Amino acid sequence: MVKLNIDGKTVKVLEGTTVLKAAEQAGIYIPTLCAHPQLTPYGGCRLCMVEVEGAGTLQPSCTLPVTEGMQIKTNTKKILDARKFVLTLIFSERNHFCMYCQVTDGDCELQNAAYDESMTHWPLQPNWQPYEVDASHKFFVLDHNRCILCRRCVRACNELVGNFTLGFKERGANSFLVADYGVPLGESTCISCGTCVQICPTGALIDRQSAYQGKEREVDHHLSVCVDCSIGCQRDVLTRDNRLIRIEGDWDTPLNHGLLCEKGRFEPLAKECNRILTPLVRKDGSLKAATWDEAISAIIEKIKPLTGKKEKGLAVLASSRLSTESLALIDEVFNQGFEAAIVTSIEEDQTSSVAAEIAKELGKPFESKLDVLKDTDIALVLGADLATDHQVAGFFLKRQQASGTKLIVAGTKENRFIDKANLKLQQTKGTSLDLIESLTAALVELRKAKVEDLKAADALYSSSEKTGLAIDSLLKTAEYLSSAKKPVIVYGKGFVSNNNKVALKALLEFAALIGKNGAPLVGVKGQANSMAAAQLMLVKPFKADSVQAVYLALSDEIPTRKLTKDLENVPFVAVHAAYSSQLTANADVVLPAVIWAEEEGHYLNSDGRLQKNVKALESPENVSDTVTTLQKIAELLNIKAKGDWKSQLLARVSSVEITQG
Amino acid sequence: MAKPKVASDWLSGCAGCHMSLLDIDERIIALTELIDLRATPITDLKEPDEDGVDVGILEGCINNTYNEEVAKRMRERCKILVALGDCAVFGGVPAMRNFSGAGEALKRAYIETESTDSEGKVPSDPELCKPTRVKAISEVVHVDVFVPGCPPSADVIFYVLSELAQGRMPELKGNMLDWH
Repeated sequence: MVKLNIDGKTVKVLEGTTVLKAAEQAGIYIPTLCAHPQLTPYGGCRLCMVEVEGAGTLQPSCTLPVTEGMQIKTNTKKILDARKFVLTLIFSERNHFCMYCQVTDGDCELQNAAYDESMTHWPLQPNWQPYEVDASHKFFVLDHNRCILCRRCVRACNELVGNFTLGFKERGANSFLVADYGVPLGESTCISCGTCVQICPTGALIDRQSAYQGKEREVDHHLSVCVDCSIGCQRDVLTRDNRLIRIEGDWDTPLNHGLLCEKGRFEPLAKECNRILTPLVRKDGSLKAATWDEAISAIIEKIKPLTGKKEKGLAVLASSRLSTESLALIDEVFNQGFEAAIVTSIEEDQTSSVAAEIAKELGKPFESKLDVLKDTDIALVLGADLATDHQVAGFFLKRQQASGTKLIVAGTKENRFIDKANLKLQQTKGTSLDLIESLTAALVELRKAKVEDLKAADALYSSSEKTGLAIDSLLKTAEYLSSAKKPVIVYGKGFVSNNNKVALKALLEFAALIGKNGAPLVGVKGQANSMAAAQLMLVKPFKADSVQAVYLALSDEIPTRKLTKDLENVPFVAVHAAYSSQLTANADVVLPAVIWAEEEGHYLNSDGRLQKNVKALESPENVSDTVTTLQKIAELLNIKAKGDWKSQLLARVSSVEITQG
Repeated sequence: MAKPKVASDWLSGCAGCHMSLLDIDERIIALTELIDLRATPITDLKEPDEDGVDVGILEGCINNTYNEEVAKRMRERCKILVALGDCAVFGGVPAMRNFSGAGEALKRAYIETESTDSEGKVPSDPELCKPTRVKAISEVVHVDVFVPGCPPSADVIFYVLSELAQGRMPELKGNMLDWH
């Protein structure tokens, strides 16, 4: 511990702490602009200057490490004058006109900093040089006129997301924010995660959708969880007058600490789908608007005779975007109560189901929490395209590459994440098991594993031939993994496709051979509540030609073409859906459903965190959530449901330990 | 002691700051007991007294040669000059023109306007003032008190005037600051 004095207050902090952080811990406020709790200190804006006894000049507190006995002052006239001067220079550098800026009135950190210093005006006027506005990006606008060159966006893009799209060209007053080598943002390598927009202290990067729709104090915040994939990033949903304004990450949340991807941040607002707002029943060949009572009794009439019928009976299908409450009730009503022919989810990603089966065999969880991805030196990614799905997990890995972490990605050529790898293992389709066998053989070859771990003596050669990979890359992978201090293995749908339990079992054994304690294993799993669906055993294969009727709880999921086609020949299809699609147009009864923002419920993410999606919007009239609709149906079928979703969820061993939040 | 004399004028702006001044409502009666309100755009007297006033208030930015004259005249004739509102303090909305230049703005207003028939013409009578680059008042004359806001709220204006009326310099901070 280091003892120092700030403004007469004795402060004890850990060695290596910056003066800014020490002051923060002591409850002493020092204004900042370029500093951000999630980023490496940069020392660019000079707003956080402090007086250090013995030092000739003012020092930036954000980059200054504490030393024993340091005497710091944060509030002398010299400092206050310097702050005003710093702000004066920043204001004069570009064109910061609050009256025609989107980010103003409490939302702009630059404006707030000026208010804090009681600045009534700019002592220096800007030079009126216009800077370009880059409006080429579909989700946000970059206005160079408002840029203060703090490089927060650049650091966020590099340090937090690991995408390295943003950078600076030129120096000093000519410094200029660029994407890639100076191409418009919309044509750059930007992956639209929006972290730069969220971290920008001024109006230089603004979100198109929410521009001019309300200031921070005029919107309601709903701290919720993303339901667009199974990482389950915590996110803040901003609404105003029952309108969705914007989605932001929350810097203080433990899992994704403010990061979101395009799917979680921008796409929910960009979705252009037609909402279903009234129940529809097929009469004389065409769908006609009906009352809820008419629609529900049309369903009951068709399905009641199918009670308990295992052959040519009723199939109940559920989206794995539904909450655990909804999924558990579907299981309870239709599986246990109704005894339908089949009750399952429409999840196509088999990671959850395969993992759940292995856990059942082992009798205990075998996967690690996603946090292990945040601090690793060698990561082996198997069949998970983290550039397309589960992107935030990809950010955790990519961003460490700059500091030496090696990324080894194995997958078929469709896997876009391979492009990011330090070592690319582009394998032939369906060779997951061969890959693991050849990697095990490579460990033996390097004398990092014993010969008895081998399945076949010549596995290195025979298996590698099937995978289409060079023996050299396999040996290198084995060497990287066995010499790693913090190795980690990630697997996804590509690895377990075709229900490949054997491959996952082999992977488990392989992971145990690495290093002293084995490498932790992380599974990234399908849709938002895919793991809950697996826990509830809603992962059975569904064959459309074996059933008489289908009840599909689709919620706001957009059905795949395959599902639409599968259901075409089913004699009776009832769908509870939020958006109209070809599938709803083909259905016999359509019930209007709420969307993710209109329903409260729990979600079990990839690493077993049980999190709550909160209701951010009131649903339109005449639209109903899954639980209420199911209860109504259960009542008419005379099925009693307890709705004890939690114990249903926890009834079985899970692939990763289930934790709260 | 005689009541301090106060005069005001407007330059290039929207008159909104004077509207906001009127929004102090009945407090204006209390204020007139403290000050001697002289020339303003909303009273009969149009020019500040030649022998000077104590407080001069200017709304709007400096947009042309005439604004410059008015600002200089007010500066010469007052002891304390107040820049009232975002246009006076920063240049305000008219300053947007600086990015294209006055020529472009005049062309857009007099020639390219949708309602203009084939022969639009930029006024060029020699008696007219010349448009210039838009400036904040402090770029032309020394300003003693800056009151930002678009417009500054009536409460802020009342605070500033009542402080000046009682011989104190107003100090704007916290919630009173609003640059918009």
